Amino acid sequence: MYRYDEFDTQFVKGRVAQFRDQVNRRLTGELNEDQFRPLRLMNGLYLQLHAYMLRVAVPYGTLSSRQLHKLAHIARTYDRGYGHFTTRQNIQFNWPRLKDVPEILDELASVEMHAIQTSGNCIRNVTTDQFAGAAADEIIDPRPVGEIIRQWSSIHPEFTYLPRKFKIALTGAPNDRAAVKFHDIGLMAQQNEQGEIGWKVLVGGGLGRTPMIAKTVRDFVTHEDLLAYLESILRVYNRYGRRDNKYKARVKILVHEEGIETIREQVEAEFAEIQGGVLTLPQEELDRITAYFAPLEFKPSNATFDLPKLKAENPGLSRFVMLNAHEHRQPGYTSITISLKPIGGVPGDATADQMDAVAELAKAYSFDELRVTHEQNLVLPHVAIEDVPAVYAELQRIGLAEANAGQITDIIACPGLDFCALANARSIPIAQEISKRFGTPEKQSEIGELKIKISGCINACGHHHVGHIGILGVEKKGTELYQITVGGDATEDAAVGNILGRGFIAEEVPDAIQRLVDKYLGERANDNETFIQVVKRLGQEPFKEALYANG
Amino acid sequence: MEIITANELLSGATVYFQADGHWEADIDRARLFGADETEARDEVIAKAKATGRLVSIETEQVAVEGGKVIAQRLRERIRAEGPTAPRMKPQGLEEGDHVSL
Repeated sequence: MYRYDEFDTQFVKGRVAQFRDQVNRRLTGELNEDQFRPLRLMNGLYLQLHAYMLRVAVPYGTLSSRQLHKLAHIARTYDRGYGHFTTRQNIQFNWPRLKDVPEILDELASVEMHAIQTSGNCIRNVTTDQFAGAAADEIIDPRPVGEIIRQWSSIHPEFTYLPRKFKIALTGAPNDRAAVKFHDIGLMAQQNEQGEIGWKVLVGGGLGRTPMIAKTVRDFVTHEDLLAYLESILRVYNRYGRRDNKYKARVKILVHEEGIETIREQVEAEFAEIQGGVLTLPQEELDRITAYFAPLEFKPSNATFDLPKLKAENPGLSRFVMLNAHEHRQPGYTSITISLKPIGGVPGDATADQMDAVAELAKAYSFDELRVTHEQNLVLPHVAIEDVPAVYAELQRIGLAEANAGQITDIIACPGLDFCALANARSIPIAQEISKRFGTPEKQSEIGELKIKISGCINACGHHHVGHIGILGVEKKGTELYQITVGGDATEDAAVGNILGRGFIAEEVPDAIQRLVDKYLGERANDNETFIQVVKRLGQEPFKEALYANG
Repeated sequence: MEIITANELLSGATVYFQADGHWEADIDRARLFGADETEARDEVIAKAKATGRLVSIETEQVAVEGGKVIAQRLRERIRAEGPTAPRMKPQGLEEGDHVSL
């Protein structure tokens, strides 16, 4: 893992001291709320429905056990004993008090963490594949480049006041698990004809009220030129992005209105000016950062899962392995998804005790490393196959052994109207009811992979546009209504779901999902054809008919 | 009828202006303003802003049913009662968090 150098340490400590002073000035009345608000937002501190909410950055979703222990400590000491993991691979605390926030930031700085740029019109936390550095299908570990992008984008003097927020995601694998095509910039590792590894650069993706799939602006950029190329895109956006209308201010609107050809011309012209300049990434610097992510000292092992034997001896563990174990590049190892979606639970929540226990698991079984996924789960990236039974047993003890990764109950849900000041409708209770309806292992096994994503407003923090089934909560004449989409896909085969028709009240949603599931089960060609494959084969009409057959 | 609500600066807690001039978390004790009391209402809002201790000051439409003050909007009912899933109490006020006009 990356470790702060002296500069990083001083920078983060300095920022905490600065914010402590700003809080003091607010408390004494020297700053009014209009003056203080942008300052607190720059430090990830929102004011939500019930209290302040602090969003803490987890760069490219990577945590050490020490850091997770600290998050547990913060949850226990300054909050209500839990934290909420988000679709940006971050963690949010829902109940801090203003006077405690400088203390919390001090605690975070002591483990090389912060809340800088988790809000505001700047470059936000860079995200990536939760299996980075472990996945068998990876071309390159994206974390060193993720770290370099983090350093380049942190308090970048030119990009602190962009027209709107800006999100970058990257994947080192061709199978996109980081939804890169729905980011302002998406980077996909590529190997060119000369065998060099570099990056395909996509621009203008996003969700929100205007969902867009990112378009390719350049097929191949070398590591050496990557920062200059990113800088060129940001400069074009900073200059031409709309500042007159916040709903049209994201780069996706600029790309849509101007066309990718025009944007490409502008970016290339800018790049021609700055290529080879100060932003050139020297190989020595890439090597220096890459060394932090050097291959681990894996034990030689040919262990594999004997699923028939496991199924006979321990069906629960067998199911857990089938769904929550991901293929590792190192023989004898696997990556374990720890589902934060217990049946009927709150998606993404973990208690302080659970966080402490997971941190201990990482220390004992995963080289002290953890990941946060954009699907609101945790991952132990490097577990020896022989250790999986022990990991599973401990997860059972702490209530986090749900075998449902990628299944119908592995639901993304935003905090919704229960917590969020922007929401129009609740998301969490909808997720809970669907989870309870389909929660038995038998039902989930029958249905197979099906991703449901729920947002409580059009801002789409719950990624509903890219759910195989998406649910969008709206408010109509004082009532919460839920619109249902099908056909969304966040992977490399990116697609935006289509709304099927009128909305449903909350109590009707589980039955509506049941009708879609029943239609899928009746239409699939065989047990291996997934829900999204059936939607892509048949289109939305059969599902629309199933949903509204009785008016 | 209307009430005046805000978030208290130190805790972020949802608070309501009460008839005795205090800002407290109990919506049932909120001072009710009739349609003919806009001047009194606006005066309270101006004083509240001047304290610097209250954030997001808003008015909300309410009805009184069985002695309980019921906000018309679901959003405001959730603010008053706390999250519904999981069911949690709203943020409490600690000593020093109390504001009065």
